[in-house]
Amino acid sequence: MSLANSIYSTLFRKNYTMLATVFAAGFAWEIGFNSTMDKIWDSNNRGRQWKDIRNKYVEGGEDEE
Amino acid sequence: MAPLATASRLCVRSAAVAKPAVRALSSTAVRQADAPAPGAASYTSPFKGESKANKIPDFSKYMSKGSETSNKLFSYFMVGTMGAITAAGAKSTVQEFLVNMSASADVLAMAKVEVDLNTIPEGKNVIIKWRGKPVFIRHRTQDEIDQANKVNITSLRDPQSDEDRVKRPEWLVMLGVCTHLGCVPIGEAGDYGGWFCPCHGSHYDISGRIRKGPAPLNLEIPEYDFPEDDKLIIG
Repeated sequence: MSLANSIYSTLFRKNYTMLATVFAAGFAWEIGFNSTMDKIWDSNNRGRQWKDIRNKYVEGGEDEE
Repeated sequence: MAPLATASRLCVRSAAVAKPAVRALSSTAVRQADAPAPGAASYTSPFKGESKANKIPDFSKYMSKGSETSNKLFSYFMVGTMGAITAAGAKSTVQEFLVNMSASADVLAMAKVEVDLNTIPEGKNVIIKWRGKPVFIRHRTQDEIDQANKVNITSLRDPQSDEDRVKRPEWLVMLGVCTHLGCVPIGEAGDYGGWFCPCHGSHYDISGRIRKGPAPLNLEIPEYDFPEDDKLIIG
């Protein structure tokens, strides 16, 4: 239980470390959530988005805006 | 009268009994030596005549098996997770509202206009469309620059020197919207050799400053830049 104890005392014991931990976790979670949802969206709409059909209409011009 | 007398006698008796009763009450908080150890199946009351309803049930089945540290860690972990998800949701909500208010992609695509200055000869006006509004570009001659600089600034309605209105004196770039009611002035017209608004007769000089008529301000200057010698980017 020394691992649990050290986690508790480093992350949760002090209010400000708890707050920092929560914000960092929220940031990381948001990134993960957004990328997961984007992947789900892309896989649901595969073949229908511009980035999927772009090479049918644009030849070579990858550097175009 | 009789019931009252018995009642008062009862009161007196209960007052006399009160002291040991209080002691007994307080001793319940401290576990007595002959009481069973915590976590045992039953708890014997120190009082006499206790009914079954007064027995404290055994909660040891529901007690956590983990140690204090791991329980604390778990609780704070759940609280922190909740807080993290809530913070991410709140941030996302605020961000979506702010993104909603900013310019959309089709507006941003129109936001910048590039002009090749080689195609504009000296002494000519060019009108281009920028963000849905006309923009006047005039390639001024040296005579016109001198004329714009000669004007006494303090006599103007909206005092502005010609240097404040141009980045390069030969190129005058301004929004072609009359500051009075938003008509588009006509170039190379009016009493001052600049622009003339046909709607209500405002005269602008060769620097786009209001000289005569109802308009209150000079013609507006948009953001622009010369990235190369013969290229102009508006926006």
